[in-house]
Amino acid sequence: MSDAGYGLLDGKTGIIFGALNDESIAWKVAEAAHREGAQFALSNAPVARRLGSMDELAEATDSPVIWADATDDEDLASLFNEVQDEYGGIDFIVHSIGMGVNVRKDVPYEDLNYNWYQKTLDISSVSLHRIVHHALDTGAMNDGGSVVAMSYIGAQRIFSKYSEMGDAKALLESIVRSFGYRLGQRDIRINAISQSPTKTTAGSGIEGFNAMYEFAERVSPMGNASAESCADYTVTLLSDLTRMVTMQTLYHDGGFSSMGISDQLVEAMQDAFQNDDDDA
Amino acid sequence: MATDIESAVKNIIVEKLGVDESDVTTDASFTNDLGADSLDTVELIMEFEKEFDLTISDEDAENIATVGDAVDYLSEKAA
Repeated sequence: MSDAGYGLLDGKTGIIFGALNDESIAWKVAEAAHREGAQFALSNAPVARRLGSMDELAEATDSPVIWADATDDEDLASLFNEVQDEYGGIDFIVHSIGMGVNVRKDVPYEDLNYNWYQKTLDISSVSLHRIVHHALDTGAMNDGGSVVAMSYIGAQRIFSKYSEMGDAKALLESIVRSFGYRLGQRDIRINAISQSPTKTTAGSGIEGFNAMYEFAERVSPMGNASAESCADYTVTLLSDLTRMVTMQTLYHDGGFSSMGISDQLVEAMQDAFQNDDDDA
Repeated sequence: MATDIESAVKNIIVEKLGVDESDVTTDASFTNDLGADSLDTVELIMEFEKEFDLTISDEDAENIATVGDAVDYLSEKAA
């Protein structure tokens, strides 16, 4: 990896949603996009202003911060008008937004609080639709642009503790396909990155996260993909090098999604079941 | 009136945290008794700001840990 970058995003402009602190995937994406020569705005919900340290990222990447609730149409319309005033048009959007309210509150999937469930879907999935809609509606999105949204394999397979967030990510990946079809006419592409479990503030809100992380770490031939490596992958998807890639869920997981079980896990399970065998 | 502030505060807490009104006692701690996480507590502070049309500094927010703290603070500020 070149510290100076490859100039992949020279002359490109965009907006990155969802950086909270230096553990956030969006934070790493902003650093990588800056390294590759992009200019961009940063956005997160107003609540992140108190919780996070976005000002630090804004300074390091020389980017404006636009606080906006990604579930609020007025906020988003005004955000894209502002972005357009700043840059004329934008070439990329990064969506790294997610929250499972029932998950946070340890509410079992079979007993979901439906108000919270709707909030989960609105924040984690419908926000992607809203963002793309307003980017198009305000005329802020340039032809030939790229949209990337962060997902997780729980969208397609059951990771029991991921609960409602599996539904949210499934909807997110479906919106990627549905919008991708319509954006293709303008050569705008949209993809989801299905990323390894990543130790972020959002990730650690999931009960059993550490077990999911360690499991994936031992199953993946390369181990879990870090937030930094996810950011490097993201900038390739924002670059012109990947201009014909669209409507995909792209696994960035060190090989996890193609695995069944690994020697490392077999051995760990043998140890764990040792006592069961003794009892038998 | 303090009682109006108290009931407004309690309504916000019940709605935000999804807890029973009977659990929202003066001594109840947001995090220890009412199940609030760090995001909840920040959202509560922001709801109080909106409801009472004032700004709560981070330093002041750190000292608002119980229902009673919130009622006392807001009664004083909104007076």
